[in-house]
Amino acid sequence: MNETFYDVMRRQGITRRSFLKFCSLTAASLGLSPAFAPKIAHAMETKPRIPVLWLHGLECTCCSESFIRSGHPLAKDVILSMLSLDYDDTIMAAAGHNAEAIVDEIVEKYKGNYILAVEGNAPLGEDGMYCIIGGKPFVEQLKYAAESCKAIISWGSCASWGCVQAAKPNPTRATPTHKIPGLADKPIIKVPGCPPIAEVMTAVVAYLLTFEKLPTLDRQGRPQMFYSQRIHDKCYRRPHFDAGQFVEHWDDEAARQGHCLYKMGCKGPTTYNACSTMRWNEGVSFPIQSGHGCIGCSEDGFWDKGGFYQRLTDINDFGIEANADTVGGTAATVVGVGIAAHAGLTALNRSKKSGDKQTGAEQQ
Amino acid sequence: MIWQNSEQIRHTLETTFNEILDKRMRELPVVNFALSVQAVGFSRFGEDWLGVLITPWFMNLMLLPGADSTWREQQPGIKIDKHFPYGAFEFTLGREAQIGIYALCSLFSPMFQFENQAAALAAAESALQGLLAETAPRAVSRRDLLRGAIGKGNR
Repeated sequence: MNETFYDVMRRQGITRRSFLKFCSLTAASLGLSPAFAPKIAHAMETKPRIPVLWLHGLECTCCSESFIRSGHPLAKDVILSMLSLDYDDTIMAAAGHNAEAIVDEIVEKYKGNYILAVEGNAPLGEDGMYCIIGGKPFVEQLKYAAESCKAIISWGSCASWGCVQAAKPNPTRATPTHKIPGLADKPIIKVPGCPPIAEVMTAVVAYLLTFEKLPTLDRQGRPQMFYSQRIHDKCYRRPHFDAGQFVEHWDDEAARQGHCLYKMGCKGPTTYNACSTMRWNEGVSFPIQSGHGCIGCSEDGFWDKGGFYQRLTDINDFGIEANADTVGGTAATVVGVGIAAHAGLTALNRSKKSGDKQTGAEQQ
Repeated sequence: MIWQNSEQIRHTLETTFNEILDKRMRELPVVNFALSVQAVGFSRFGEDWLGVLITPWFMNLMLLPGADSTWREQQPGIKIDKHFPYGAFEFTLGREAQIGIYALCSLFSPMFQFENQAAALAAAESALQGLLAETAPRAVSRRDLLRGAIGKGNR
């Protein structure tokens, strides 16, 4: 019961060498300097593992799919044992009453000390009958588990914003975690994306477990280290945007040359996520690299923002206010030269490599 | 392209991007017509030339290669890390016929938050100064900002 992460990993047959490698990879994906690897290793060797309850509401399981395919070479062995996923109805062995008993057991045994991960959301329509877990509406299980948890992770766009099941007219009244009425007041980390990037998911959990505190969140509750920049800011096709070189039709010469997909409806200029830096499938590629525009899946209400192939056209589309660091709150228009100078510095800090930012994960 | 001096660089960049504005960008909704193309800085930084390029649709940190720059033979789309007194930045390489290879790091795009060229220029200059300042720029609290307790010299 008082096992450490390291004990668990050793029991699973993971060598010390692999363990240390995992620690440096985790430090890297958190944007921390290599000097943090020993710190992570130390935490994992000495701290008792923290149980994670992973609940599923209305969802498609793409978050779980993404998570268990994390790109770290060791992920398939390490992550699952390390995170101690005591309850995850998709990947646990228990079923039926045995499975539901685990929820009670964790809530009782680790009161105030477990992480509640929520994949999907709760439909509130018809008293929650559109999503029933173990004979009861999911929203009840969610509230019950939230009552005694330490912090909540809202996995994916469903739990963070609502996603497709909350798209207009939202017949089941699917509701993201932070908007559930009567939910216990616990810190909520939103990790949006449909699904989120695997490495982002594992890094967020690893951060929580090793440092025992929340990563720095932006105003919308997303970890700053992964959601402070737009796809557009770090896109490898950005020089083509700047130079006005655009794909006009699918498979035209510009498409073959890899020009900018803005005119084909790419939502990169309005989407905050790490795809253009971390990429997918162990850093192999991301949608734009395979020739398709970004659909903006990590943004609030992305299903209701027009077609995937519809061009961003006006100032409101670009959501100037979207960045959490923007001067003076929402929809700020830079009016004076003094404020513009501040905006320049803010942009500079935002563009910095994540391990180097002034306010961020590295401040321990 | 061999770059000789700041004057030549600024002239070439401004000419090139004014042409891009006229030929390829003008009808697009990402253009802020209150702004114009302006190259700021572009003095030597190590082997490279460093400056900020302001256009009506983006503002980037920009590097142009000197004769000894290791990245001048690299392919467009590649990313390189560059270290400055302020910290490390990732640049993306691009190529344009009249300029040759260059490296960019985005600061703003699109540019609708700038009311006029003076504001864009102030942001560009402060970013450039901040980048090269030995000590990291002081974090400004919102309270100080609203009380006007910063930037006393340029109000």
